[in-house]
This record gives sequence, C-alpha cells and structure tokens, in this order.
Amino acid sequence: MLVSLLSDNLLEKISFLNHAVSSRATLPILSNFLLETKRGKLVISATDLEIGISAEVPASVEKEGKTTVLAKNFLDLITNIKDQKIKLELEENVLKLKGDKVRASFQTMSADEFPKLYEQKGDVILTLEKKDVEKFFQRVSFAAAVDSSRPSLLGVLFEKGKEGVVLVATDQYRLSYQKTPLKLKEGLEKPIVVPGRVIKELSFLKEDDGKISFCVSKENNQVVITQAETEIVGRLIDADYPQYEKIMPEDADTKTEIDREELLNAIRICSVFARETANIVKLSVEKDKLVVSANSPQVGEDLVEIAAKTIGEGNEIAFNAKYLIDVLTTLEEEELIFEMTGPLNPGVFKVKGDNNFLHLIMPIRIQG
Amino acid sequence: MSDYKNIWKNVLSEIELEVSKANYLTLFNQTRLLSVEDGVATVAAPSGMIIDLLQRKFFSIIKKATDKHIGINTKIVFVPKTVVDVVLEDKNDTLFSQTETKSSIGHLPRVRSDYSFENMAVSGSNQLAYVSATTVAKNPGATYNPLFIYGPVGVGKTHLMQAIANEVYAKKPSSKILYTTSEEFTNDVVEAIRTNNTARMKRRFRDLDLLVIDDIQFIAGKEKVQEELFHTFNTLVDQNSQIVLSSDRHPSEIKQLEKRLISRFGGGLTVDIQSPDFELRCAILLIKAKKYNISLSFNTAKAIAQKAQDARGLEGLLLRLITEAQNKGLSEITEDILASFLPVEKDEPRGFHPDEIIDNVCSYYNVKPTQLKSPKRDAFLVRPRQVAMFLLKKQMGLTFVEIGHLLGGRDHTTIMHGVGKIEKLVEQKGNMDFLGINDQMLGKKVD
Repeated sequence: MLVSLLSDNLLEKISFLNHAVSSRATLPILSNFLLETKRGKLVISATDLEIGISAEVPASVEKEGKTTVLAKNFLDLITNIKDQKIKLELEENVLKLKGDKVRASFQTMSADEFPKLYEQKGDVILTLEKKDVEKFFQRVSFAAAVDSSRPSLLGVLFEKGKEGVVLVATDQYRLSYQKTPLKLKEGLEKPIVVPGRVIKELSFLKEDDGKISFCVSKENNQVVITQAETEIVGRLIDADYPQYEKIMPEDADTKTEIDREELLNAIRICSVFARETANIVKLSVEKDKLVVSANSPQVGEDLVEIAAKTIGEGNEIAFNAKYLIDVLTTLEEEELIFEMTGPLNPGVFKVKGDNNFLHLIMPIRIQG
Repeated sequence: MSDYKNIWKNVLSEIELEVSKANYLTLFNQTRLLSVEDGVATVAAPSGMIIDLLQRKFFSIIKKATDKHIGINTKIVFVPKTVVDVVLEDKNDTLFSQTETKSSIGHLPRVRSDYSFENMAVSGSNQLAYVSATTVAKNPGATYNPLFIYGPVGVGKTHLMQAIANEVYAKKPSSKILYTTSEEFTNDVVEAIRTNNTARMKRRFRDLDLLVIDDIQFIAGKEKVQEELFHTFNTLVDQNSQIVLSSDRHPSEIKQLEKRLISRFGGGLTVDIQSPDFELRCAILLIKAKKYNISLSFNTAKAIAQKAQDARGLEGLLLRLITEAQNKGLSEITEDILASFLPVEKDEPRGFHPDEIIDNVCSYYNVKPTQLKSPKRDAFLVRPRQVAMFLLKKQMGLTFVEIGHLLGGRDHTTIMHGVGKIEKLVEQKGNMDFLGINDQMLGKKVD
C-alpha cells in the first residue's frame, strides 16, 4: 500500500471514526483502524462490534493494499501534524508515514483480523437531509437510556405514523416523542428500534447538503446509515418497545408559557443547592410567574422567579434537575409550554406552535 | 430450549480452552444455540460483525465442538440476534409504572423502591416482625402504634421499615410519609434551634400520616432532641398517624433515654428480629441470586450460607461469586467456583465474647439473660443455665470462678456441678440438641 494525502483531510475523518473505537476492548484488533484502498481512495473503518463507522479520505493511491494500526497512536500523531502532505506506505508489517519533516512507523496487525462491517446494505427505508437530524433526531435521541437492563430502552423507536415516521426514545424516567413528515418506504409496517448510539452519531455527519439514507436489512438485523461515502453500521434492537402510547398525556390542568433560556438559567442556579438532595428542584407554577427553588437543609436554599403566562390553577411539582437541563439544552426554540396535572403525573414540555413534539419527565415526590 | 442451553454450554466450555480469553469474552460470550433441526444448528450472535469474525476465524473450532456435543455432522448457520435470557424489570417509579403495575408514579425520597414485602425472605427469626409490619402497612395508625423493631445489624430492619413506607405509599400516594434516620432528625432539630425557626420543623414532622425513623438509639443522651421527639410523638399518635421506629436494642436497654420516651416507645408493639437462621440465609441467597439474574442451586446456596452470618455479608459474598462466574462466562454459580473461591474453612475456634454465648443460649431456650443471671432456681431456668455453664467452659475455657461471676455471682462449685451434669448428659445421650447453639454461632447447619 502506498498513498499520499493531506493530514487535515485525514484528521477530520479519523477523529469521527474514533467514536467507534472501543475504549475498553479486550480484543486487540478492535483498538485499531482499518486502512484500505478502494476505488482510488483511502477508506478507513473502526468498530467495537456494536457500532461500526467507515469513511473515505481523498487520496492518491499509487499502490493498493490494506492494514490496521492502533487507533489511539495514529490519531494522536495525525492531530499534531499541522496541514501537511503525507505519504503512507506499508512495508512488510510496518506502516511508514512520511511528512515534510516527520517520519513515523507504526506496527500493524493483519487486516484479515478486522471484522467486515456488513455483508449487504439492505433496502433504503428512509432518506433525509442534514437539517432533519437537527430538527427531529436530536430532540429524541438524548432521552434514550445509555445503560439499561431493558435493551429496547437503549434505542430510538421508528414507527410508521399517519403523516410520516414517529420517533420515540425513553429511559423510563423521561420520554421524547417527535412526529416527522419523513416518509418510510412502503412495506415496512413493523416498527424498528435503532440504537441511540447510532442516532447520536448522525450529528457528526459533516457534509451539510448530502442526503442521509437509512438502509435496513431485516435478515441481517442491521441498519446502515450512509451519507456520501461515510457509513455508520449498527444492529437493530429486536426487543419489544414499551407501550408508550398509554402514558401519552391527555389534557393538562395547568399550562404555562415560559422562556427556555430563562428557565434553563433558573434551574442551573437552583441546582447548586439541589446537589445534596438528589438533584431535586421544585417548580411552583403561579398566575404570572414560575418559581424554581431548591433547598438542602444543611447547605442552604435558593429560588428564582421567572415570568410565565399560566392558564389553569397554580401547582407545584419537583424534578431531577438533570432531566430538565437535558431537555432545555437540546431544544433550540425559545418559547416553550410546560404542562402538568398534579405533582404525581409526568410533566410535559412542548414547543409553542409545534404540535409534533413533546417531552415527558417523571416527577419526584417530595414532602410538603 | 434448556437442552440447547446445556449443549451450548458444553460447546462453549470446550471452545474456551481453544481460543484466547479476549476472543472468548468478546465473540463467544453472547452466542446462543437456538435450534438443531435436520442437521442444521442455528446459532445466534449479537451482530453481523461478530458473525463475520466467528465464521472467518473460528468456524472449524465451533464446528468441531458442536458436532461432538450434538453427536451428528451439523451444518452451522449464524443468525444475528441478541438473546436476552431474562429481562429484569425495574418496575417502580418510572413513566411506565402506571401502565405496567398499576402502582403509583413517583417515589419516596431516601426509600429504596426495591425494598418491598414481596422480596423479603421470612422465617422463624423475623416472622413476628414481618407480620406486624404488614399489619401496620395495611392499616396505618390503627393497630400497633408505634411499631418498634429492634435487632442486630444486617437482619432486615431497614428493609422492613422501607417496605412499610413503600406499601403505604403504593396504596395511597397522597399520604404524607417521612422516612428519616435519627441522625437526620437530630440535625433538623439542631438546625431549627440554630435558625430560631422551630415552627417549620414542627410542621415538617407533625403534619404526617406515617413517620419512620431508623436507628433511634442514636438520640440517646440528646435531651433537646428527645424532648422534640416526645412532642412529635404525642401529636402524631393523637392524630392517629403511624409511627415506626427501629433500634439495635430494646427500648429499655437504650441508655440515657428519658423514661417518658421509653414508656411511649413501649406503648405499641415492640418486636425483635433475630439474626437470620441457616434456612433463612439460604432463602435470602436464592432471592438475591434471582435479583442478579444468576442461577444458584440449593446445595451451593447452603454452602455459601454457612460462610456468612448477616444479610449484608451474604450479599457481599454472593456478589463476589457472581463476578467470578461472569468472568468465566457462566450464568450459574457452580460448586467449582465456590470451591475455588471460598477459603478453606478454618477449624480454630473463633474468639467469642461470653455474652454472645449467654445471648445465644437465652434465645435458644427463650429466656432472658437477666433471668439466667438471677438467683431464681425455677425448673425452666436450671437447664439453660447449666448449658450456658457447659458452653462457657468448653468453648471459652473460662475458669469455674469466672463463669460463676458471669452468671450472677454463683459459687464455683455450683458451676462445676452444672458443667459435670451436662457433660454426663452428652456422654449418655450423644449429640444433644443444645450443641446446635454452638454450631449456630459458628454458622454451621443445625440438624
């Protein structure tokens, strides 16, 4: 293998690919990047067997070939080489890197050891734009569980709705629901669950105008997401998803309009005193204001008032501040509506003028 | 299905010998044999990438081992599928709890929702406490008020108290429940006095339907706190709110506790929980193993139960064994693991405290230590007293005079007589049941 390329082009791709390199791999090959020449370009892949990513780097290939190198060292070295033209050459088992002033050689492992990311791509079930990722997917994926004994909670549900795909994610303590106008391909009647990790990687897809396609192969139980020559591979989660419809709220007793930044700021202020008490912050909804407060008997207490326009009776509810901060930092719209029915039912966040999104959070019961 | 599970377990244990540990843990650990039909063995693995490596690198090893254990020449087919054996349900206080369990939403601060009556192991040593607790939870404030639970560490006092709180809350989520410890109660009182804001604290503690205070013995010697507790106590009882307290000893044995409080504490029902007996320890182990989703045979449970005395010790030991089993890729704690893990039993006698022997004899015969030490010579006291003498002599090697002092200032000749009597009895009748007291202390099985 002999290729020449620009280090900056390489860096951009491998820092993204590094997301798929397992930090605690027991199998040495999984700590490596696979470098191979294809179609006159350099293709680099990484996987931890749960998720795999491969991307193309523009390069001029003089001699075909493939090998694997330790991802961490390769990435660290490339990070520190500023904008240079470099040459990568495989000699025996050693990958030699030559820059203007830099010489390095990496011990390699055989590319045969590296798992193939997928056999067949499967059928395209969905295509979308980069802006859809920000608009719909990010609003949902943060609510998926990161670690759970119920595999289905680790994923984002794709369900066929009347107008388009409905996305749902929950970790049992909060739930995000988003209706989208995106059309699923005909024939896919059963919902699928895609790992939250895979969806989160979508926001790192770089090309702004490239179409993103979801390919699903049912028999391989796998999803491949592609944008141009970048591919993210994950497995579908084949466990039953919780029946979220049953907890979708009907009408609420109290509805209040608030400003996102203001509320976020108030919660951050109050979480100072909530740290000692399991992060509990209390929201008291009043006629024209919302009072956020926290107290821990030994440390102190504080409260912040923010303006609000309330319909319905005044009410109190308490949440884990982390969940509130998560939803408020994810949403970008400034005008939000908070709805609740008594201190024991889930609180609901909506975006004003957008009926397609809602976020539910479990309250924490507190003593009056 | 269980057949396939066994076959695959055998296949895997063979493969484990052939491949490196890293390969085994990453690639083989999550594979399952789904079926064997018409000479085709279907094996599930979590992802296509894993299947790719299995097929390219290890196919011949897998085929060899599989053929050997199935007994025929099979064709092996891999399918991508994640097989989860049992999904653990953490049902409480989640968004879905209303739909799934009908129980309430939300949870009590500082109360572990997994402490419930259902998952408590019950046996002779804690049955009375369990029954009284369920009665109280069913009808708070109406039956035993207060309920006072006492017993040594690790017997399940906190579990029981939190179960009451959870149960009351599940039945009626609008009830005002406070679970606290005496330390926190003390802090609140001190804080209230310091900031001169007692009204707020009074509201917090007196406007309740259920007040649970753990480890009440720590308020001993704190006068102002005791006074505050006394008034809180009266208010709550007057308005028929339930109070549940726990301590490591009987109220009358808590030193520096005001008389009026002792009398209040005794006003309801006082029950004790004894250290778990052998059978209960086995049951606890089986329940915990189920919780951690690992299989544990009864014999293995028995062997573990012999090694630890209280529930916490048991859980600690069990967790270490589970980790060991998981490292080996097993879903069961086998006797091998146990044998390799537990230290060889030491036979040298443990250093007992004489009071331990006396306490155990008393609980065995159901008499009080004070009775044992009293000058009374009622027939029902004589045998226990002599057994205590015998065990103190044999186990501790105390002198007759020392034993005499321990048992209420008796003459050394009385002790010699008592020890001799029991010795003779043991000689004549062989293994007497009271020898079990000793074993019980050593944590061995009482036959």
